[in-house]
Amino acid sequence: METVKLMRELIANFEQERNYLPKETGLSLIESTGENDSRGISAKCRDTKVEDLWSLTSFFGYSTQTFVLAVNLLDRFLAMMKVQPKHLACISISCLHIAAKAVEEERNVSSTNELIRISQCKFTVSDLTRMEKIISEKLNFQLKTITALTFLHLYHGIARSHTADRKEALNLDTLEAQLKACLCRIAFSKAKPSVLALSLLTQEIEATQCVDMLEIAHHVQRHLKIADVELLHWRGLVAKCMSDYSSPECSRPNNKKLVWIVSRRTAQNLHTSHCSVPELPTIPEDCWDESESEDSCEDMSSGEESLSSSLGSDADGPYFPLNFLCQRYRNKYHHTS
Amino acid sequence: MSSAATTPPSVDKVDGFSRKSVRKAKQKRSQSSSQFRSQGKPIELTPLPLLKDVPAPEQPELFLKKLQQCCTVFDFMDTLSDLKMKEYKRSTLNELVDYVTVSRGYLTEQAYPEVVKMVSYNIFRTLPPTDSNEFDPEEDEPTLEASWPHLQLVYEFFIRFLESQEFQPSIAKKYIDQKFVLQLLELFDSEDPRERDYLKTVLHRIYGKFLGLRAFIRKQINNIFLRFVYETEHFNGVAELLEILGSIINGFALPLKAEHKQFLVKVLIPLHTVRSLSLFHAQLAYCIVQFLEKDPALTEPVIRGLLKFWPKTCSQKEVMYLGELEEILDVIEPTQFVKIQEPLFKQISRCVSSPHFQVAERALYYWNNEYIMSLIEENSSVILPIMFASLYRISKEHWNPAIVALVYNVLKAFMEMNSTLFDELTATYKSDRQREKKKEKEREELWKKLEDLELKKGLRRDGIIPT
Repeated sequence: METVKLMRELIANFEQERNYLPKETGLSLIESTGENDSRGISAKCRDTKVEDLWSLTSFFGYSTQTFVLAVNLLDRFLAMMKVQPKHLACISISCLHIAAKAVEEERNVSSTNELIRISQCKFTVSDLTRMEKIISEKLNFQLKTITALTFLHLYHGIARSHTADRKEALNLDTLEAQLKACLCRIAFSKAKPSVLALSLLTQEIEATQCVDMLEIAHHVQRHLKIADVELLHWRGLVAKCMSDYSSPECSRPNNKKLVWIVSRRTAQNLHTSHCSVPELPTIPEDCWDESESEDSCEDMSSGEESLSSSLGSDADGPYFPLNFLCQRYRNKYHHTS
Repeated sequence: MSSAATTPPSVDKVDGFSRKSVRKAKQKRSQSSSQFRSQGKPIELTPLPLLKDVPAPEQPELFLKKLQQCCTVFDFMDTLSDLKMKEYKRSTLNELVDYVTVSRGYLTEQAYPEVVKMVSYNIFRTLPPTDSNEFDPEEDEPTLEASWPHLQLVYEFFIRFLESQEFQPSIAKKYIDQKFVLQLLELFDSEDPRERDYLKTVLHRIYGKFLGLRAFIRKQINNIFLRFVYETEHFNGVAELLEILGSIINGFALPLKAEHKQFLVKVLIPLHTVRSLSLFHAQLAYCIVQFLEKDPALTEPVIRGLLKFWPKTCSQKEVMYLGELEEILDVIEPTQFVKIQEPLFKQISRCVSSPHFQVAERALYYWNNEYIMSLIEENSSVILPIMFASLYRISKEHWNPAIVALVYNVLKAFMEMNSTLFDELTATYKSDRQREKKKEKEREELWKKLEDLELKKGLRRDGIIPT
């Protein structure tokens, strides 16, 4: 029976998951570090870097699993080592690359060159390779980990097998996207993957109001002996994260960090277009100006007369201010033919 | 007379792939004019005293005499003839320029017709024909006016005259009339850019001072442009005329008259379709933007017009259009933006996927513009779905690595703007791709099955495997 097999797998993973948790003390240290502290990584620093990793994952077409694995490696590493902020970029990209090599097909893994170029990082390929080695060693080469995604897939499989008629009651893609959103906040790295996944599941069940799924969720919870208190705690945090994620308010993109390199020709183009300053002074249109078409001059004469006298033939009229005339005189007089 | 052998008309020289090596070295074109009939006898002018040497009451009459003398036109093609007299005329003209600038009380009513006559005699002439097939306005040197030493001073003089404190349009309008203006406009086709520059100033002053001529001038400019766009595609003075129009548009009273709006839609927008757009694009874009600053409600017809005429084969023009569009977007009102965002971004999406890297780059650079970004942000739910597919596709497929890097910037910006929508679109895109792949596979398997069937049938029938 499909369900039995899944349940057995569930238990097996549940027993193993604590081996892959980042050290809690390490995570707390990060959370308490100030943003401008140059000696250590702050929570915001880590969160921003993880968001960057998500952008890169998406851009290179890597799967969610790669991303989740990369974040897990990153968190475990950061929790055990004291790291300077300037090395964070190299570390995070290394984690992504390690994860990609572990998860993706070989032909889909992008080269290190490309990775560095797109992420606009300042370090070299050899830096990256060295860092990868260091990370792998420090994590005892435990590179295939059990993550919240593992559990999410299992839960989803179990739920599906129970309700044969409703195939896609719970959308796995949506759940994965929500997990990704959670992982961008370091607070969730403290959660046990099984609990985090279950929180997401129950959250989504409530949102989509699938009542029979609720039964299954309860069943799983009892099977794994997850305490209500724990589940409720994480569900609360997840709920808050979800409301931020799906809010219509857009966070202002931080364009300043990204470098826009354009070719020389385009750059020239951009420069010249903003330099066109008109030389000729504006000629205001007057209301009695033209009841137009090919008017004979006689109709206009009275209007014109009064106009010309009001303008004066003094150069102080609105059309040709005096200083402009003098300037023209100076410019044109020395015009060489 | 031009003696160059005819070469076949070059195809689409503007596309940046002009075969310069193929064109032969340009022969110096000789200017000839029927204006100068060889007289045989040299021209003699009796030298007059200098104006400053003559007492004030006599100056106006001397002024008139000098003007009359300057009506004599000299042949500059013949470099050796009448050198002394040419120099005399030049120094007289110089003197007149100074005189008009500083003097007072010299402008009598009799002076007006003489001034206009002198100017007309000197500048109004039939322009020599151009080798329109060979002359590339962007690359070749223009043929300069041979009689420029005199001509320049005449223009200088005329401008000072128009700008003089004593100048009275009410008297002058009898002599500077529609016929004069018409001839002036024809001169804008001169190949000499210095002459066009002076003409620009002259016409600008005339437009400013003679209200009765304004409608006529506008109408004639209309005609010139329409002929240019729809009949000849040849006219050298488009940029200068557009510059004048820029200063006129800038001064339009609100609400805009229907005539002006017509002009925008029927003349300025179609002007974009001409092949030699690069020669006057800056001025044209300026006029368009001025119009939109005057009346933002015109934004929609303008942008729809540009989209309708969007270049399909000329990449250099596409880059120009993109530049102009960015200038328009810089001043657009958010309500207007919402009206045209869909067709606009559909076109931008196409530009971004263009294999021509300059076009793609220019389009992607829009995302570096803060104001445009704020507009996109407000409407990301509409714009993101339009842009998404092409951005994602070119991130995988474009040949140019710089473009791929820029696409990353844009995708990242979108990701941060609206994560939910972005994730949805990613998921849909992925599932669409998977479905396509599945279909491909099924199709292949079907073909295989059919092949096998054919083989089996053949074997059963006569035991021979068909080739």
